Amino acid sequence: MPKISIIIASEKLDKLFPATTLATTAAVMGWDAELFFTFWALLALKKDYEPKEVSTDYKSYEDDLKRAMNFGFIPKWRDILEQGKKTGRLKVYACSTTMDLFKLKADNLLEYVDGVVSAAYFLNSAKDSNITLFIS
Amino acid sequence: MNVDLIVDARYKSCPGPLLTLVEAITRASPGQIVMLLATDPGAPLDVKEWASSVGHKFLKVEKVDDVYQIYVEVSG
Repeated sequence: MPKISIIIASEKLDKLFPATTLATTAAVMGWDAELFFTFWALLALKKDYEPKEVSTDYKSYEDDLKRAMNFGFIPKWRDILEQGKKTGRLKVYACSTTMDLFKLKADNLLEYVDGVVSAAYFLNSAKDSNITLFIS
Repeated sequence: MNVDLIVDARYKSCPGPLLTLVEAITRASPGQIVMLLATDPGAPLDVKEWASSVGHKFLKVEKVDDVYQIYVEVSG
C-alpha cells in the first residue's frame, strides 16, 4: 500500500484541517500515514488545549468555519484525526525539539501520540513515502 | 436493488461523507448493499476511490434532486 508522510507546523484550524483530512483519508483507504507535529502544531497535541483560531490572513472566514464545524457541515479536525487513529495505520509523532521549546513532557501530550521523535527519525521513516507534504 | 443500510451524510463536506460511510460500514455484513446519501459533489469519486482501495464494490451513483445516492456492496 502507498504511504503518506506529512509535517504539520501550525496549530491554526485551516492548517490542521487539511493535514488531518489527508492523513485520515489515506488511513481509511488502507494506506500507511504519518503526521509529524512540529513547532506550533505541537500545541494541538497538548492535553486540555483546543486550537480555536484560523490563520491571520483568513481571519475574516473564522466565524464561517466555526459555524460550519459546529453545525457538523465540516468535521472537526480532532474527530478526523481520531478516526484515522482507529484504523491503526496512522502514526502521530511529536517533534522533540519543540517539546523542549514549549517545556512539554511526553505526559503532557494526548494519549494517541505514538512517540516523541527527532528530524532524523522522521526522515528515515518518510524516505519510502509516496507522498510527502509540509503544511505550515 | 435491495438496500440493507442507508447512511445519511447530506450537507457534510469532505471528508465528512467518506468518513461517515467508513464508520457506518463496520456495522454492515459482507454482501450487504449500503446506500450513502451525500450532497458534496466530491463524494461519488471519493467513495469510488476508497472502495477500489479497500476492496468493496462500488455499484453505481444516482443523483436525485441535489442528493447523490451512492451504492456500495460490502466485501467479505
